[in-house]
Amino acid sequence: MIETRSLIKSVHTTEGLLTILKGIDLRITEGEVVAIVGASGSGKSTLLGLMAGLDGASSGDVLLGGQNFSAMDEEQRAMLRGQLVGFVFQSFQLLPSLTALENVMLPIELKGDSLAREKAQQLLSRVGLQERCHHYPNQLSGGEQQRVAIARAFATEAKILFADEPTGNLDTATGERVIELLFDLNREFSTTLVLVTHDERLAQRCDRIIKLVAGEIASDSDSSREEKVVA
Amino acid sequence: MPDNRSSDPMPAGSLYPNLIKVALRLLWRDWQGGELRLLFIALVMAVTSVTGIALFTDRLERALLLESANMLAADRIVSGRGELPEAVLAEGQSRGLRTAQTLSFTSMVFSDSGNLLVAAKAVTDSYPLRGEVIITEEAFTRGRPIVSGPPPGEVWLEARALPALDIEVGDSVFVGEVELTVSQIIITEPDRTGGSMMDNAGPRLMLNMADVAATNVVQLGSRVSYRYLFASDVMSDLDEFESWFRAQEEWRGRFYIRDVRDESQEVADALDRAESFLLLGSLFAVVLAGVAIALTAKRYSERHFDYVAILKTLGCTSFQISFIYLLVQLVLALFAVIVGWALGWLVHQGILQVLEAVMQIALPEPGLEPYVIGALTALICLLAFALPPLLALRETPPLRVLRKDMSQQKISDKLPYGFGLLGTVFLVYWYSQDLVLTSVLVSSVAGIALFLSVISYVFLRSGGSAGMKAGNAWKLAMTAARRRRSQNVLQVMVFSITIMSLLILTLLRTDLIDEWQAQLPEDTPNHFMMNITRNQIAGIQEFFDGNDIQSNAFYPLISARVTRINGDEPNPEGSLDEEDQGSLTESANLADVELSSEAGSALGPNVASEPAADSDEGRRVRGRLSRRQVTWAEDVPPDNLVTAGQWWGDNPEPGYVSVEQDYAQWLNLSLGDRLEFEINQQTVFAEVSSFRSVRWDNMQPNFFIIFSPGTIDHLGGTYLSTALMQNEQKMLLNDLIRLVPTMVVIEIDALIEQIQTIIAQVTSAIELISLLVLVCGALVMLACVNATLDERFHENAILRTLGAGRRLIMTSLLIEFATIGFLAGLIATIGAEASLFYLQQEVFEQDFSFHYWVWPLGPLIGMGVIGVLGFLSTKGVVQISPLSVLRRLI
Repeated sequence: MIETRSLIKSVHTTEGLLTILKGIDLRITEGEVVAIVGASGSGKSTLLGLMAGLDGASSGDVLLGGQNFSAMDEEQRAMLRGQLVGFVFQSFQLLPSLTALENVMLPIELKGDSLAREKAQQLLSRVGLQERCHHYPNQLSGGEQQRVAIARAFATEAKILFADEPTGNLDTATGERVIELLFDLNREFSTTLVLVTHDERLAQRCDRIIKLVAGEIASDSDSSREEKVVA
Repeated sequence: MPDNRSSDPMPAGSLYPNLIKVALRLLWRDWQGGELRLLFIALVMAVTSVTGIALFTDRLERALLLESANMLAADRIVSGRGELPEAVLAEGQSRGLRTAQTLSFTSMVFSDSGNLLVAAKAVTDSYPLRGEVIITEEAFTRGRPIVSGPPPGEVWLEARALPALDIEVGDSVFVGEVELTVSQIIITEPDRTGGSMMDNAGPRLMLNMADVAATNVVQLGSRVSYRYLFASDVMSDLDEFESWFRAQEEWRGRFYIRDVRDESQEVADALDRAESFLLLGSLFAVVLAGVAIALTAKRYSERHFDYVAILKTLGCTSFQISFIYLLVQLVLALFAVIVGWALGWLVHQGILQVLEAVMQIALPEPGLEPYVIGALTALICLLAFALPPLLALRETPPLRVLRKDMSQQKISDKLPYGFGLLGTVFLVYWYSQDLVLTSVLVSSVAGIALFLSVISYVFLRSGGSAGMKAGNAWKLAMTAARRRRSQNVLQVMVFSITIMSLLILTLLRTDLIDEWQAQLPEDTPNHFMMNITRNQIAGIQEFFDGNDIQSNAFYPLISARVTRINGDEPNPEGSLDEEDQGSLTESANLADVELSSEAGSALGPNVASEPAADSDEGRRVRGRLSRRQVTWAEDVPPDNLVTAGQWWGDNPEPGYVSVEQDYAQWLNLSLGDRLEFEINQQTVFAEVSSFRSVRWDNMQPNFFIIFSPGTIDHLGGTYLSTALMQNEQKMLLNDLIRLVPTMVVIEIDALIEQIQTIIAQVTSAIELISLLVLVCGALVMLACVNATLDERFHENAILRTLGAGRRLIMTSLLIEFATIGFLAGLIATIGAEASLFYLQQEVFEQDFSFHYWVWPLGPLIGMGVIGVLGFLSTKGVVQISPLSVLRRLI
């Protein structure tokens, strides 16, 4: 489903060239639930951004559903994202000027689907927010906002879901409930889930844990795979 | 949970309707959230000012042209020596123009008990084509307008002619061989002031053209002035007719066509300058509104980076993002245009209300053009100023959802300026249709902008060290100013250009109005008296004194010709200025009947009646070297300035002459040259002792050549003087003429009054346009202050959480804005003076002089206005809790 080959990401800083990712090779299969862990600055969010096609690599390839991101421009990447990818972010990233319902409708509308409202309403019911459809994000609690974001992520029936610290802005209890929801939906939709987290307990619930240290894969719990390691 | 994947495949056709829905939702929510309001207001202001000014100028121009056309009684006039070719009239008629004919001549009129020299004018039935004749049946009562001349068998006489002839309305008079009934008293006629010299040579008598033959006054060789009048509501027909006429080679130099702009130099100048001013005003208004649009659009787009990043993560392509934001802007512009049209209409109505007192004419309905201009302006402003930052949104990296510090880098910084400059160039050229004005204005603004950014950058850089010692608030303000250096440089630039625009308009306005008022002061003499002998002077002076009439000096007049210069034949060189003055001589030769052939030249350009635009150079030169009215005087006449040499002192000696400087240049004269004149068949020698500059437009007797007393006094000649007679003193003219029957009086009171009215109207219009631009300027300043509001809120919230007191923050804000305002005001003053240097000399044909009072005032105004405005806009930073600010901005 997702494959990276010799993925390198460097940026120019005032102190010279800084290499954030130093040649990542990994393969994630369909339906897999993967946690990427590591200390701050280890490159996990960068890796997530590259795998989701939010950014271009300095070298190496990213294949998503068999299609190589590296050979695409931003327009093509956006279209592929629209077809395959859903996101859940630490800071929810809901559009403040749209209601909960409209936020969920948005990706469906962008796909040109004329049944956006109905589908969004179903999803909001599924995450238990049918009563809060017409509330704006600033009228919702953090947990509620993240549930709206999860509903939005599943709205386009994405095959792959990327989650960046989905509980990072939530208290423990709320975070638990949000994670339950995320995993439940993930099972229902048979989605491939890649999440970046600091949360050890959350990571433990995943099928596979990839640990990054200084831009390299330090360990991969799925050691049976041949492709995984690059020391 | 239903399986969403089993739903119908995506209907491809729904994408664009969906995108439109998304765009309209975004527009509505942003509108509700207040984010679009300032952009909307800026757009509305652009449309309002342009539509308002265009509507007003459109109507004013039509009205002024109409009123000016009333001064001609037509839109075009063809006149000339002798009878005019019938073909001209036929051609005009075949082109669908309305036509009329007039014939002016001087004649003696006889009643049973008296006779009087009158300025007779015969008119055809369709006269006047423009304006109205005002008549009454009882002298000195309010008249009624009528759009015709007298019917056959009747004459209309000016009121003061009746007592002179000792008759009343209903009596009859003899004009030549025919007896005609005086049926009405004529108060005014539209083209009274636009006539030839013989139209001013006595009280008016108007008769029907059909009676002219019977009078037997006009015979072959008689000195008369024929005119064909043409009018049409279709401007292009008139222009084409004029082109046709000018193409007729065989008439060149004999027959002339003209419109109102040829008629009165003052009116033409006032109209031209007012148009330039209004044009400049609307240019400034649009450019200022454009800057406001650019600033607000930039802020709007900055606030939408996150929005776009999220849309991108959701699969929105750059094209779709452009589509959404373009649609938002276009719908916004649509509403702005509608509101702007309505407000523009109100603004122009407001201007009309203010002008009601001076507007003596009903304004014609405006055309559709102003509305089109308004709408196009909105579109161009949007394209040039708003779209670049909005389209730059499409470059927002989607990674911004993960990393806040990522922002689009590619085009947002420089491209908007390029687009804005391009848009400005286009707008300026579009309005002015003047490539030179466009390039000069744009390059000077661009140059000033560059200069400003360098200067203000340096100022803000060095501001810190001085500020450190001045206490906390000062230090805080200065460090804040330095920290936001690039933003502040932009602010100083925007403020400077705004203040500069306002200063330029205000100073121009003041100078223009001052100049107009100085041109025709209240006590401008409105009657010229000529053909006075030396021994009549005392009697006339006594008459003036006895009747409380303000009179002026009596100038001797004698006809002279330059025959030799230092013993050689004169060999003049043509120069630009010669043309106007040459035409005077020409005109006087054409027009006069009883008057001496060059009297007109002594009266200055304003009294000139027949322009000689088509006359050839040779004839002009002969005219100038032929006879010329000269005078002698002890003192330098008013409005004359000795530019070289010396005026004769207290004990003048004969044998010297002072020559007008342009005329002297034309004749290649130097101080000390010995001139030989032919005066009354005698030869007179004189040495050139000084050159003078003369203000020809002061409505005073002016002379090219003035002799020192004793040089030509013994050669005879007559005297010329001027007087100011009020309306109620007009009847005294009869007594005066009875007292001095040989005297010729030329009445220019109506002309002066008409000019003063038009200038008053134009002045009011200019005041109002200035006001409108002022509003635009205020808007720009507000937009500019708002542009940095987010950052200020954020910074000050952090400062307050760290314990900074309200007072400290408020004081520092005030100091920061006041400093920016001071800098902007100073730079604006420099820029305004520099621009005025060009504008006044090249566009408004005024003399440039430094406006010393602006130098301290400009910076102070900048400091005051920006300080208060910035302070008021940002004082909210200390009024809401720091937490809510921080939460909002996270």
